[in-house]
Amino acid sequence: MEPGGGGRNVVSMIEIEHLTKRYGKKTAVDDLSFTVKPGAVTGFLGPNGAGKSTTMRTIVGLDAPTSGTVRVGGQRYDRFRAPLTEVGALLEAKSVHAGRSAYKHLLALAHTHGIPKRRVSEVIDMVGLSDVAGKRVGGFSLGMGQRLGIAVALLGDPAVLILDEPVNGLDPDGVRWIRQLLKRLAAEGRTVFLSSHLMSELAQTAEHLVVIGQGRLLADTTVDDFVESRGGGAVKVVSPNAAALAERLQGPGVSITSPESGVLEVRGTGSAFIGETAAAHGLVLHELHTQRASLEDVFMEITADSVEYQQSKEGVAA
Amino acid sequence: MTSATLIENRAVYTPPSDYRLTAFGLMRSEWTKFWSLRSSWIVLVCAALFGAGIAVAVSADYSANYDPSADGFGMAPGDVLFGFLLSGVFIAVLGALFITGEYTTGSIRSTMSAAPRRTGVLWAKAAVFAAVVVGVYSAVVLATFYGTQAILSGTDLGGASLSDATTLRVLTGYVATIAYLGLLGLALGAILRNSAGSIAFYIGVIMILPQLATMLPWQWVADAVPYTPGEVVNTLSMSDTAGANLTLGESWTWMGIWIVVTFGLAAVLLRRRDV
Ligand SMILES: Nc1ncnc2c1ncn2[C@@H]1O[C@H](COP(=O)(O)OP(=O)(O)O)[C@@H](O)[C@H]1O
Ligand SMILES: [Mg+2]
Repeated sequence: MEPGGGGRNVVSMIEIEHLTKRYGKKTAVDDLSFTVKPGAVTGFLGPNGAGKSTTMRTIVGLDAPTSGTVRVGGQRYDRFRAPLTEVGALLEAKSVHAGRSAYKHLLALAHTHGIPKRRVSEVIDMVGLSDVAGKRVGGFSLGMGQRLGIAVALLGDPAVLILDEPVNGLDPDGVRWIRQLLKRLAAEGRTVFLSSHLMSELAQTAEHLVVIGQGRLLADTTVDDFVESRGGGAVKVVSPNAAALAERLQGPGVSITSPESGVLEVRGTGSAFIGETAAAHGLVLHELHTQRASLEDVFMEITADSVEYQQSKEGVAA
Repeated sequence: MTSATLIENRAVYTPPSDYRLTAFGLMRSEWTKFWSLRSSWIVLVCAALFGAGIAVAVSADYSANYDPSADGFGMAPGDVLFGFLLSGVFIAVLGALFITGEYTTGSIRSTMSAAPRRTGVLWAKAAVFAAVVVGVYSAVVLATFYGTQAILSGTDLGGASLSDATTLRVLTGYVATIAYLGLLGLALGAILRNSAGSIAFYIGVIMILPQLATMLPWQWVADAVPYTPGEVVNTLSMSDTAGANLTLGESWTWMGIWIVVTFGLAAVLLRRRDV
């Protein structure tokens, strides 16, 4: 079947396989593999410098992989006959000529694919720029620039949307608007892939998560599983008989740490079992509760080793 | 497994199928881009006024000092339009900015994500820019020619018409020269991707260096100078080509060679480099 042709039955999945991108000696993306599926919002999470923007640039063919492959709907992006209908991208860096109006910028892009003026006006309305569409982009605020970028991404009514830190510079209303928009687009069966360095920005929008650090894959999972698997499920126990209790709790799959004397953090078993064990052996408990790590905590934990400029290293070097 | 189930239960989106990336679309896009920047208008108008202004001033001066009894300066009717050659630098800079402006502002990222094969953008830019320059300069050169003829009517340079083969060739030569220099600037801009760098390179290396090189004590350097990209075009606007370094045919051939070489390099780099 011809890509982008009529009657397509290709699922517009983003498939990244063993992607490596180096800039000189700097490895921005390191043997990264994951897929992004249609019908859901997938968050792309990682600290600054993790390689998110680089990965997204390779998807739309702006940067060529040093090795590995990037495919959309099984195709290389530059093979599509109508690229703007396949992937719409809002990139991190500015992508508009400051001297041109928002309308003319969109119109010029629309012309490449024979997209009618009607569609240009439509996306301008959708992002709420109707009043300023004729003004030079140079005078736009950060938020207006983001809205224009989103209009560009939507222009070809694409099957895949890639948005690099779209929330940057948007006011709270704008943030709420874009969350709803992205969920709606995903519900229509599109692939929505959006990046952020803040877990909190993704938690309310994304179902799936791809987490990277220093260019490497750290997690590829659902948001729920992500929280569950990390930090979630640890039970904090405060007891004057901590040592004795720890001994009784030992078992396969159970891990116990003691952050301070008299306090235990137990993983691999539930609070019910711990309480019953304590009762059975007449051990006193002062506190017993299941810790539910926030998404932010989990993210910090998982990326702690991969934050590019670690305080300690920098401190020593200075 | 769970995610596969999820997909099956959800809507399957089919993008619009009536849109296509085409060469014609790319040209329309570049046309819109060109005219939607104020700088394009300003530079074009300045270049045209500059060329026309010099032609009018020179004609008025010639007419005022004309002495029918004295020998002429060996000038031909088309020669008073030489100011258009000087305006070539404006157009070369405009050509360079047409593409470097996309790199300095970042709009190249939008452009190339819409046309990921990239080279089509270069060809569309070249075609549109050449068409604009040829169109505008044809009109301005022609108007200026008739204007100067009106001023020169009482002199030996008056009474010329387009049916005169040399006059027509020289006027066409001006237009072709400017279009060639503009394309050269565009190719340079595509190679260097930097506004200041491209302008400096054009003025320093294409325009000035060959002039300085002729002063060097080596004959082979002086012999090579007429074949450099900025010089090969000179014969086209000469009324008398007898003393020219290159014949008209050689001139056109070398212009073709330089266009192919510079655009070829630009295209290869465009495909190879990250945007
Ligand atoms: N064009 C480039 N040239 C050199 N280094 C780059 C370039 N783009 C990105 N990098 C480097 O690659 C790493 C990943 O950057 P980036 O993809 O922007 O990360 P993120 O978007 O996750 O913050 C960073 O260390 C960055 O400095
Ligand atoms: Mg980034």
